[in-house]
Amino acid sequence: MTAQADEPSARDGPATNSSVPLISLRNIQKSFGSVHALRGASVDVHAGEIVALVGDNGAGKSTLVKVMAGVHAADSGEYEIEGRPAIVRTPSDATKHGIATVYQDLALCNNLDAVQNLFLGRELTGSRLFGGRIRRAECEVRAREVMSRMRLSNLSLSRPVGAMSGGQRQNIAIARSVLWKPKVVILDEPTAALSHSAAQQVADLIRSLADDGLGVVVVSHDIHHFVVNSTDRIEVMRLGANAASFRSKDVTGEMVVNAMVGGNEGVNLAG
Amino acid sequence: MVSIPASAAPKRRTFGELLGSDLRALPVVIGLVVLWIFFVVQSDVFLTPRNLSNLLLQSTVVGIMALGLMFVLLVREIDLSIAAIHGVTAVVSAKLIVEYGVSPLLALPLSVILGAAVGSVSARWVNWIGVPSFVVTLGLGLALNGIQLLLLPATARFGLMGTGVELIAQTTIDGIYAWLAWAIGIAFLALLILSSVRRRRRVGLEVSVIHSVVLPLVVSALIGAVAVVVLNANQGIPLPVLIFAVLLGLGGYVLNETQFGLYLYAIGNNAEAARRAGIKVPRIRTAAFAIAGGVAAIAGIIASSRTLGVGVFSGGGVGGGTLLLESIAAAVIGGVSLFGGRGAIHAALLGALVIGTVQNGLNLMGVKNEVRLIVTGLLLVLAVSIDKIIEKLTGQQAY
Repeated sequence: MTAQADEPSARDGPATNSSVPLISLRNIQKSFGSVHALRGASVDVHAGEIVALVGDNGAGKSTLVKVMAGVHAADSGEYEIEGRPAIVRTPSDATKHGIATVYQDLALCNNLDAVQNLFLGRELTGSRLFGGRIRRAECEVRAREVMSRMRLSNLSLSRPVGAMSGGQRQNIAIARSVLWKPKVVILDEPTAALSHSAAQQVADLIRSLADDGLGVVVVSHDIHHFVVNSTDRIEVMRLGANAASFRSKDVTGEMVVNAMVGGNEGVNLAG
Repeated sequence: MVSIPASAAPKRRTFGELLGSDLRALPVVIGLVVLWIFFVVQSDVFLTPRNLSNLLLQSTVVGIMALGLMFVLLVREIDLSIAAIHGVTAVVSAKLIVEYGVSPLLALPLSVILGAAVGSVSARWVNWIGVPSFVVTLGLGLALNGIQLLLLPATARFGLMGTGVELIAQTTIDGIYAWLAWAIGIAFLALLILSSVRRRRRVGLEVSVIHSVVLPLVVSALIGAVAVVVLNANQGIPLPVLIFAVLLGLGGYVLNETQFGLYLYAIGNNAEAARRAGIKVPRIRTAAFAIAGGVAAIAGIIASSRTLGVGVFSGGGVGGGTLLLESIAAAVIGGVSLFGGRGAIHAALLGALVIGTVQNGLNLMGVKNEVRLIVTGLLLVLAVSIDKIIEKLTGQQAY
């Protein structure tokens, strides 16, 4: 059973939702051999909202996110970006369309500093005549701008990120995702393995992204704290399809969990 | 919006943090000074310009090999065929010169290209088939040893006296020309530093003139000047030493300043993260192996010039012998991690100097070669152990 919210609503802050979602995936099918991972899954992400994708292991949320991020190409279904059909079959396709992903393992190089991690793979360089010399000063200025915009100015830009705390590393990974001004940021388990206070800081940082008008998709198992308290809409997935959709402010963790495992309670709360 | 707690605010780095990064070379430098003091006490000859010039020359081949190997170690791979590449490329160039009358001006660059090509073959095998580089290069090294033996004549040696190759080892740059070489080196360093400073100032970033400009320039100029004074007091700068210095400069530029250098460190620490960031990991890995192969061939040229010929012994003999082990040891003693992503260019110099000092000093003391091997082996274990102890004591993993 699937229930959809009539319109997404930001929990608080200046949500800039419009009727046209930033990205919209409809009726996505994806199989891996005989395993039918997605059976017509759908999700919309509007500007200024945080959408949580939740579900039990094997529910299809990670596959749906990977389709969104271009890691997997969908077998069938519609992928629209700002109302227009889009082809997103590789991570670089997603990047070109303004979709950034923060993976659970953060994909940081511990031996590099924050600036080097932020720009990894996209360094500003000088002439090829000099072997592609990195324009460190320009990179650093842009890194400072982004960190300042995200109120992370106190983070050291020159320490190896391996010497930083889990929360600081998560912040660096999020800062990297917004460096190139994406429209949508996908975060996979952003609060996993963080202390309560560090998780709250990361949650606040994610809220600031939505406040800036970005669409945010979060995959999380932290139902009772992060998902219920820090997101705007919850899409519950079960067996590769949407099982329920809630406005976060209207539900409790128990109701979400109930929907995840197949109970009926709370399924129609959205809208 | 969020503000992070005060505990995350930037602070002065502790001595432990500095030991794990900027001062990573300090224990090796201290070790080297201790060794020098020991040998000065043991031998009146050790500190003479003639002996120090010899020591530098003796360290050149291992140092250059370690420098090339560094590029492979940085991407968390290893190349056990570098000694064999060193040997077989030297034999190929000698065969071209002696048997086919090819000019050394053509044969020697060809041998460097051959070395790079062989290195890239290893990398392609690692990339495509997924066989660990340890196995691929071990097998390739043995195969190259066989090819080397096949290429040698019945006398098992190509003499290079009179071919012009011997001039590489015999040429020295002395007097004012030595100072000119020093000035050119310092000028390049100054240009590099000043251009960085200018860029930082242009975009409004702070620059510490003392730390960013004066200190590196003065220290480099002083070390270089002392070396020139000592070498000039003998016969000047031997050309192999100058080649090593140029390679160190080039290597330092590539590792510290360029995108390619950064990618070596990134891949060595987290290849998957590098791949997701869009870095073409196999291509960078191939380039690293090619550099190690090409640089090993340069070392081969210098070694054949010093020994006035090539033979079964070139490249350390079958299996790479002490040349392979000392090259790996030099890189590791200098601070290059076998687990990738860590090591600065001066590691090749420091490591080679440690090994060269032990060899030279013990020779002066009349100690047998067997003891030299024992001491070198123990120093390798000691260097890595000190590294681990520092990590444990400071709680800082070295990067």
